[in-house]
Amino acid sequence: MGGRAATFWRPTWHRLWRGLLLGWLCWAGGWVTLAQAEEATLLVLRNAVLQGAVEVDGGGVQPLVRQDVQLPYHWDRRHRNRAGEAVFELHFTLPPGEVQDVQAAQSDPDAHTRAGHSASAYSLFFPLIGNAAEVWLNDKLLTELGDLKARNQDDFSKVGRHLRVPPSLLQADNQLRIKIRADGGRRGGLSEVYFGRMELVVAQKAASASTWRLGGSLFLGAFSLVVGLIAMTCWFTQLVPGPDGVLRRDSLYLSAGLAELCWALRVFDALIERPPLSWPWWGVVMTLAYAGWIGGVMLFSLRAAGLATHASAPYVRGGAWTLIALAGVMSALSFYRFEPLWLTAWLALAGVCGLLGVVTFSVATWRNPSTARWVLTAAGLLNVAVGVRDWVVIRLSENLGAFTWSRYVTIAFGLALLFVVMQRFKQASGQARELLQSMRTQVAEREQELASTYARLEAVAREQARTAERERILRDMHDGVGSHLSAAIRQLQAGRADERELLRTLRDSMDQLKLSIDAMQFPAGDVDAMLAALRYRLEPRLTGAGITLVWAVEELRPRPFLDAAGLRKLQFLLFEAISNVLQHAQAQTLQIAARMVGEEVEIRVSDDGCGFDASRVPRALQARAMSLDGRLQVRSGPGGTEVSIVI
Amino acid sequence: MQKEMPQESVAWNVLVVEDDARARAFFETSVHDSPGLQLLACLSSVAEVKAWLGGADVVPDVLLVDLGLPDGSGLEVIRAVSARFPSCEPLVVSVFGDEESVLTSIEAGAVGYIHKDAAPEDIAQTILEMKRGASPISPMIARRVLAKYRSLQAAQPLSASPVPAAPGEGASSLLSVREMEVLTLIARGFSYAEIARLSGLSIHTVQTHIKNLYGKLAVHSKNEAVFEATRLGLLK
Repeated sequence: MGGRAATFWRPTWHRLWRGLLLGWLCWAGGWVTLAQAEEATLLVLRNAVLQGAVEVDGGGVQPLVRQDVQLPYHWDRRHRNRAGEAVFELHFTLPPGEVQDVQAAQSDPDAHTRAGHSASAYSLFFPLIGNAAEVWLNDKLLTELGDLKARNQDDFSKVGRHLRVPPSLLQADNQLRIKIRADGGRRGGLSEVYFGRMELVVAQKAASASTWRLGGSLFLGAFSLVVGLIAMTCWFTQLVPGPDGVLRRDSLYLSAGLAELCWALRVFDALIERPPLSWPWWGVVMTLAYAGWIGGVMLFSLRAAGLATHASAPYVRGGAWTLIALAGVMSALSFYRFEPLWLTAWLALAGVCGLLGVVTFSVATWRNPSTARWVLTAAGLLNVAVGVRDWVVIRLSENLGAFTWSRYVTIAFGLALLFVVMQRFKQASGQARELLQSMRTQVAEREQELASTYARLEAVAREQARTAERERILRDMHDGVGSHLSAAIRQLQAGRADERELLRTLRDSMDQLKLSIDAMQFPAGDVDAMLAALRYRLEPRLTGAGITLVWAVEELRPRPFLDAAGLRKLQFLLFEAISNVLQHAQAQTLQIAARMVGEEVEIRVSDDGCGFDASRVPRALQARAMSLDGRLQVRSGPGGTEVSIVI
Repeated sequence: MQKEMPQESVAWNVLVVEDDARARAFFETSVHDSPGLQLLACLSSVAEVKAWLGGADVVPDVLLVDLGLPDGSGLEVIRAVSARFPSCEPLVVSVFGDEESVLTSIEAGAVGYIHKDAAPEDIAQTILEMKRGASPISPMIARRVLAKYRSLQAAQPLSASPVPAAPGEGASSLLSVREMEVLTLIARGFSYAEIARLSGLSIHTVQTHIKNLYGKLAVHSKNEAVFEATRLGLLK
């Protein structure tokens, strides 16, 4: 998002969250007040005759004497978490107006329909019936909810049950028989029964039950699942540098994710009629899930508020883990020892922890307020309040048809959690972008530095090359042309100026100059080029002296180790040899030959002159040959001279 | 040194363009001393040349031009004179060691060069031989020409050269086999006589190959320039 867009959205984003939360709270409150209004035109059946049996220690059963009871019949309260089974008998009579209608429909369904009356449908509604049940109306089986024989397996008590009653079964006086199987501590029993026309039952009871319990659970479970998964994904993918610089995952997301996933499980439980584990294990799992939710939220709040390094942080963490551990222990005790007090106690403990946590959190928020903390505080307070209500209603009161409200309120927490997670994520990705940007700038800077360094190095190298070349040229001039000219000057000064001698000296200098200029442009190691140029420059002198040149130069391979300086030295050497011939030999022919001998080059300058004393090899030749790492061989006799050099 | 054949009674007209007075005098003397040559005019700057061209009525056969003129390059002079008198054959005055300039001049249309420090007889001889079809060359220039042709050949697929490919020779479609051979041998230092013996040609044929080479180089260079200009949209 662009800078301006971001600043526009940020306050709007916060406002949106707050508005959502507030609106939701108001509506929830309103609903609560409305829910107290009693239904008017439905039959409420509260009187029943009970008969059954309860399990006792040691595996036996104790029969229940036939007795009148009042619905709702809270099994666990009456029988201290013992399993058992029972049959409830209820009687009800149809309202007079209805009776005629029903009978008419029974006798002649077609006429009834033709007369324009809709087939009057009736239905029964059981806010709570279970854990498994069979419903018989007038000795006809209406429905089976689960398996009465299979203990500790399926559970149909978690949502209200709506049963359609075909009018053919109805009479003026009706007997309703309900057989139930109750598992120990599983909140079985029978609530008050509602009977009436289906539209009314649905409108007043079933619909809301369905929406709230079924639909609500589905939606909220899905919501928690989604939030949990988002948090887990963030946890898995976000690597932040810790205080020691090592990249690790942020436990904030983990706590949030696990808490929400636990809660999702607990919420979905309302829809699960056949849990994967048998009772009471499943009960322990559910309690653990609840504990996971509370513990996770506590840890999450700790980190979200930035109090992870606070002095009390270890206590909070310890408390959360203890709570979770105790959940397993106390719920197990509660179920296996048939002492519901254990579970009640644990829930109370959880509530207290929650309350303490929220209070501490609120104080911390008061001291250092921030949006995240306010949001979490509000959600926390709400959840604790509702938690207390649930505890009172479910664990303490006789009301069997009531269900927990916690799940509806935790959506507030889920939203708060999501908000914090998203905020963190945005922050982290913002940081990542900044880091990337700064890295890019740094890289660009480095590249520039590198480029300028290279440029400088290059310039220095070029300067060095130029200097080296200049020096070489100067040396060259001095050695070649310079020495010849100074020789000529000396000759003139000494008065020993032989015109021919002088001319030769000057011509030599001229040739040297040309040769050295040529030498500047030879490709490295190209002996052929050097020899060709040498011939071109010197042949006129030879022709002028009456000497025939024989050219016997073969194609030579390039000698890479002979750089420009090396070629120049070779050139000097050959010039010396030829110069000697011109000066002293009085020859008729001069042969320049060159060929490859293996990897080496052999160059021979031979003439048919008078020769000289070969033992006195001219020092100049020797010196140059040595500096080239070459082998010089001079053979001379009265018939001719041969100077050969191998490199 | 051959004297003019009696059949060619008319001497070649030589146009000299040189700004250095002493060199100019030297060239004038060389031309005067040679019966086969006749001095047409002696100019010393590009402006003078252009002025002279405006009112010229006699066709120069040979142009002798120095590259370093005070108000421009000798190349301009070559181009101007060749445009006005296509039959005029230009020669550049070169300083030893300056093979690069010689090559540039050949590409601009020169058919040979004269060493500034050569003897007067040599100058006259070079001009006469050039008119007979033999252009001067040295191993260094030969190497440069070879390098130039290699680079042209490498770039050839990209340009649309109208020079037709020599039959059968894949290596260089700009030079004929013979021309390549001659050029290579010169670069290795062989004399005309030796080349003639080695390739079974007459010395004169070997020498004319050189002049033809130069011509091709000039043509190719000019075509390259035209092609580039068209490609860049400078010409239509």
